[in-house]
Amino acid sequence: MNPSVDVSHLSIRFGSFTAVDDISFSVYPGEIFGFLGANGAGKTTTIRMLLGLLKPSSGEATVAGLAFEDGAAGAGRAIKNKVGYMSQRFTLYNDLTVSENLAFAAGLRKMSKDALERRTRELFEFIGFTHPASTLVKDLPGGLKQELALAAALLHEPEIVFLDEPTAGVAPAARARFWALIRKLAGSGKTVFVTTHYMDEAEHCGRIALMRAGRIIALDTPENLKAKAFPEPLVELEEADEALLGRLKAEPAVLDMRPHGMRWHLALKDEQSWRELEKRLPPGAARRIAPSLEDVFVRLVEGADR
Amino acid sequence: MRRALSVARKEVRHVLRDPFTLALALGLPVLLVTFFGFAIDFDVGNIRLSVYDRDRTPASRRLAEVFSASGYFNVQPGVHPEAPSKDLDAEEASAVLIIEPRFYEKAKSGAEAKAQLLLDGADNTSAGTVLGYLSGIQNAAQKRLAPALLSGGNKTGFISLKTRFLFNPELNTQWFTVPGLAVIVVGLLSIMLTALTVAREWENGSMELLLSTPVEPAEIVLGKLSPYVALSLSALLIVYLVARLIFRMPFAGSHLLFFGSSLLFLVACLAQGLLISVAVRQQQIAMQLSIVTSLLPSMLLSGFIFPVESMPAFFQYFTMILPPRWFLAVSRGVFLKGMGAVELAGPLAVLLLMDIVLITAATKRFKRDLET
Repeated sequence: MNPSVDVSHLSIRFGSFTAVDDISFSVYPGEIFGFLGANGAGKTTTIRMLLGLLKPSSGEATVAGLAFEDGAAGAGRAIKNKVGYMSQRFTLYNDLTVSENLAFAAGLRKMSKDALERRTRELFEFIGFTHPASTLVKDLPGGLKQELALAAALLHEPEIVFLDEPTAGVAPAARARFWALIRKLAGSGKTVFVTTHYMDEAEHCGRIALMRAGRIIALDTPENLKAKAFPEPLVELEEADEALLGRLKAEPAVLDMRPHGMRWHLALKDEQSWRELEKRLPPGAARRIAPSLEDVFVRLVEGADR
Repeated sequence: MRRALSVARKEVRHVLRDPFTLALALGLPVLLVTFFGFAIDFDVGNIRLSVYDRDRTPASRRLAEVFSASGYFNVQPGVHPEAPSKDLDAEEASAVLIIEPRFYEKAKSGAEAKAQLLLDGADNTSAGTVLGYLSGIQNAAQKRLAPALLSGGNKTGFISLKTRFLFNPELNTQWFTVPGLAVIVVGLLSIMLTALTVAREWENGSMELLLSTPVEPAEIVLGKLSPYVALSLSALLIVYLVARLIFRMPFAGSHLLFFGSSLLFLVACLAQGLLISVAVRQQQIAMQLSIVTSLLPSMLLSGFIFPVESMPAFFQYFTMILPPRWFLAVSRGVFLKGMGAVELAGPLAVLLLMDIVLITAATKRFKRDLET
C-alpha cells in the first residue's frame, strides 16, 4: 500500500533555530496518525510544510503520492485538492452563517452548487448537525463549531485530513464526540493526521509520533510505546506521608518515582519486587497499573534530555 | 475567477454584517467633507485697515471706500500719523493704507498717483490672500474713480496690475477645497478599508486555511479589492452629492469622466492599502502605516493646500508617486474647468499605471511570502 504521507529527513530552520529537525515517517490510508507534543515542539510547523505553506529547508515529503517540488504550482494545487485542513487557530468565520461558511469553502474549491448541496446534506448527517444552516457561527457552542469546521475541511472529499489540535478548548463530552467522528472518518478509508497535546486523546490514534524540540523521539502504536517505555511494572500509590515516601525512595527495587496529581507513580524493578512491596504496604494503598501515555511521554522526554 | 468571486462575496458579507465599517465608509467621508468644507476657509475677512488719507479729496475718499466696500476690510482712521507702520507693530491693524498728498491731482493729470498698502507679513497666509484681493479691489477702484478722473487727461486708467482669477471668479474657497477634500478623505478611507482586510486574516489564522486550498494569491487580491471598490465609489458618490447639494458647487465637466477617473484613483488607494496589509500582516501596524503613507502626504503634498508648482524641485518629483496628486488635478479640472479626457490624459495614464503596479506588487508580495 502506498503511503498517504511520506516524509524523509525533513527539516526546517528559521535563522539559527531548527523548528523541525530531520524527521521521517509514513502514514497509510485509513490510519489515524497522531502527532503528540508540547506547544512549540514542531507539530504545526510540520503540518504547514505538508500543506505547502512552508518550504522545508531540507528533506523530502510526498503527500497523496505527490511532492510539492514536482512541477511547482501544478503539484501544489493537486496536493491541495486532495487534502483537507483544520487549523488550530481558526475554524470558521464567526460573522457568517453556517451555510455561508460552507459556500465559501466550496467556492474556493470550485465545487458546483449541486455538489455543495449534496455534501452539506451528507456532512450534516455525518456530524449530526440539526441547527438551521442559517445560524451565525458565533451563536454555536464551541464543540459544534469544531465539528462544523471538520465538515468544512471534508467538503471536497479529501483523501487526507490534517487536524491541528482540533479539540483545543473544547468541553470533554464534545471532545469524545469529535473523536468518534475521527474514528468514523478513518473507518471510511480517509487518512487522518491529527496533532494534540491531550494524552488521553492520543490513545485513540493508530500510531503516535512523539515530538520534542523538533525531533520525533518515539513513533509506534500506543501499546508498543507503553511496553517499550515501561518494560517493568508500574504501581500507583494512593496518598503517602513523608515517612513512607522516604522509605520507598530508599528501596533498591524502586527504580523511579514521581508525583502524579495527588498520587505517586512508581516504576519497579520486576514483578517479584511488586509482589514483595504489596505485602509490606497497607492493603489498597498501592495498585498495579498500566502506564498511561503521559507516563510514557514523561519518561521518554526525560530519557531524551538525559 | 470563481474563487476570486467567492472571496469577494465573503468580503461583502463581512462588511454587511459589520454596520460599523459600513457606517464608517459611507458616513465618515460626508461628515468630514461637510465639516472641513465649512471649516477650511482660505477667505480672509474682517481685516482691520488703518487709513491715512493725506490727500483728503473726493477721489482719495473713494479709494478708501472701495476697500471698505469690498467686505474684507474694517476701515478705521490711523492711530499713529507720525509713523503709520506702528499700527501694525502694535497690532492695532493688520493692514495700513496710506494715500499720499496730491493723489487726486496727480491722477487727474496722468502722473503717477501713489497709494501704499502695508500688510502684516507675520501671517503670510492672510497677507497672501489680501494680495489676491487687491486686484479685485483695484478693478473696483478703477470703476469708482473713473468718473472723477474722466475730466482729466488720464486716458489709460491708473491701475496697472492686472490679475484675473479664472474658473472660480469669486475665489470661493469652498469650491476649491471641497473637490480636494473629497479626494483626500475618500482616498484615506480606501487605504484604511483594505489595509485591515488581509492583515486581519493573517492575524486570526484564516489566511493559513485559505492558502491550504488551491486559491491563488491573485484571486485573493482581486476578491479582496472588488467589494471595496464598490464601497469607496459609493462613498465618493455621496460626497459628490454633498458637494453639489450642500456646497452648491457647479459641475462643469463630464460625469462619466469624473467617476471613471475616480475608479482609477480609488483602485490605486485600495491597492496601496492591500499592499500594506499583505506586507505587514498585522492590523495595528497596517493601520499606522496606512495613515502615515496617506494622510500627511495627501494633505500637504498633493497640492490640496500648497500648490505642487511652488514646492522645491525634489518635492515636485516626489509628489508624482502620490495618487491624490494626480486625481486632485483631475477632480478640480473636471469639476470647475470642465476639462475633458484628452486634456487629462496625463494624470489618467499615471493613475492607471499606478493601479497596475500596486496590484501586481501586492500579488507578487503575497506569492513571495508563501515561498519562504
